Amino acid sequence: MQIYSPLGEVGPPMAAMAPSLDVLTGVRIGVLDNTKPNAGLLLGRIAERLAERVGAVVAHTETKNAALAAPDRVMGRLTEEEVHVVLTGTAD
Amino acid sequence: MIDIDRPDDPQALADLYEANGWGDGLPVIAPTVDRVDAMLAGLTGEVDPDHLVATLPPRSGQATLRVIAINAVLAGCEPRQFPVLVAAVQALNDPDLNLRGVNATTHPVAPLLIVHGEAALRGGFNSGLGAFGPGSRANATTGRAVRLMLNHVAGATPGPGDASTQGGPAKYSYCVAENLEESPWGSLATDAGVTAPSAVTVHCGEAPHNVHDMESADPAAILDKVASTMVSFGANNAPISQGEFFVALCPEHAAACADDGWNRRHVASYLFNRARINVGEMRNAFALRAWAPWMQRLSDSDDMPMTEHPDNIKVFVVGGAGKHSSVIPSWGMTRAVTVPVHSGAPGTPDSEEGKES
Repeated sequence: MQIYSPLGEVGPPMAAMAPSLDVLTGVRIGVLDNTKPNAGLLLGRIAERLAERVGAVVAHTETKNAALAAPDRVMGRLTEEEVHVVLTGTAD
Repeated sequence: MIDIDRPDDPQALADLYEANGWGDGLPVIAPTVDRVDAMLAGLTGEVDPDHLVATLPPRSGQATLRVIAINAVLAGCEPRQFPVLVAAVQALNDPDLNLRGVNATTHPVAPLLIVHGEAALRGGFNSGLGAFGPGSRANATTGRAVRLMLNHVAGATPGPGDASTQGGPAKYSYCVAENLEESPWGSLATDAGVTAPSAVTVHCGEAPHNVHDMESADPAAILDKVASTMVSFGANNAPISQGEFFVALCPEHAAACADDGWNRRHVASYLFNRARINVGEMRNAFALRAWAPWMQRLSDSDDMPMTEHPDNIKVFVVGGAGKHSSVIPSWGMTRAVTVPVHSGAPGTPDSEEGKES
């Protein structure tokens, strides 16, 4: 006998990851601090180290709430600062 | 479809679900074609089983009417509860509810369903004695069906899809009906702008925090105890000024307020004024604060409310005889959503205004 699977189909992903950059030398790095404990400190230090290692620039830091998607104004400021890559995403 | 030799052997089905990492750990009812068709018949008129009701994150699971019906059968629902479940899934899809965050957080948040109006009567939901507890098939299975939808369709399985540190009993099933018969203030759904005869509110919150007052007839004395329950450094809402508090008054506490001339707005305003905490202590307790701008300007010696506006305090009546009420703080970064319950399938004439169940 057959019964239904409970899962249903998977739809298109709601958001896709941007492709990684092949070369980081010379890029402008943005930091998106999600305000989790020490996120700004950790991401900021990673950005500094990365910039030193590959010859990049830490161009701009923004903050957002960890529980919500970054609002348009935050994404807009990162765009205005012409960052090529953004470091983000820490948890508890 | 899944091949199974003995679909109505509870042990075989439990083993199948455990082996696949499905279900909630409790026995389920086999979703056979006949049972799922019968569940879909809980909606009136033409029903397209492939109609997409919602896309649920983080899995981007497609919640069609058939998939909702499958999970309703698994949970043990009757067809008469199906319209409420469909409406609840629609509410989960509202961006204000922030289901992605609700599913992903380490907090033990669970969606509470509050069923309003005629659908509560028709579906056999319990609004009275023990409404939050066991004993009502409608409450237990409809709340459970929402959890199964989240586990199976949204992908909110503990670990990869639900990071809740301790989990919580409300994650098994969390559903009550509003006790309209004993509400002195009409339905909370009407206050939320939904005037249909039937509605469901989905509030993503903690398990109920009890408020006990056996002795007061004075509304202020009762509500002071409610306010003291709202004031907690431990609640996720504490450092988040936009958080909502659902206050579930028992009929006797609600009557004490109404008999003294208090309406729902008065109760919420009083709680807004009384549920306060010292700003300096709050700053000491939380380095991370999501406060409204005006709250950020308060001095350490001030007292601040637990939420930024009285409208964030939602008062409704539930329960039976006795003097126990409860406070249900939200997770914080979520807003409750109230939607009409339709007798017909979404997208059909029976679901249009004026034909709500």
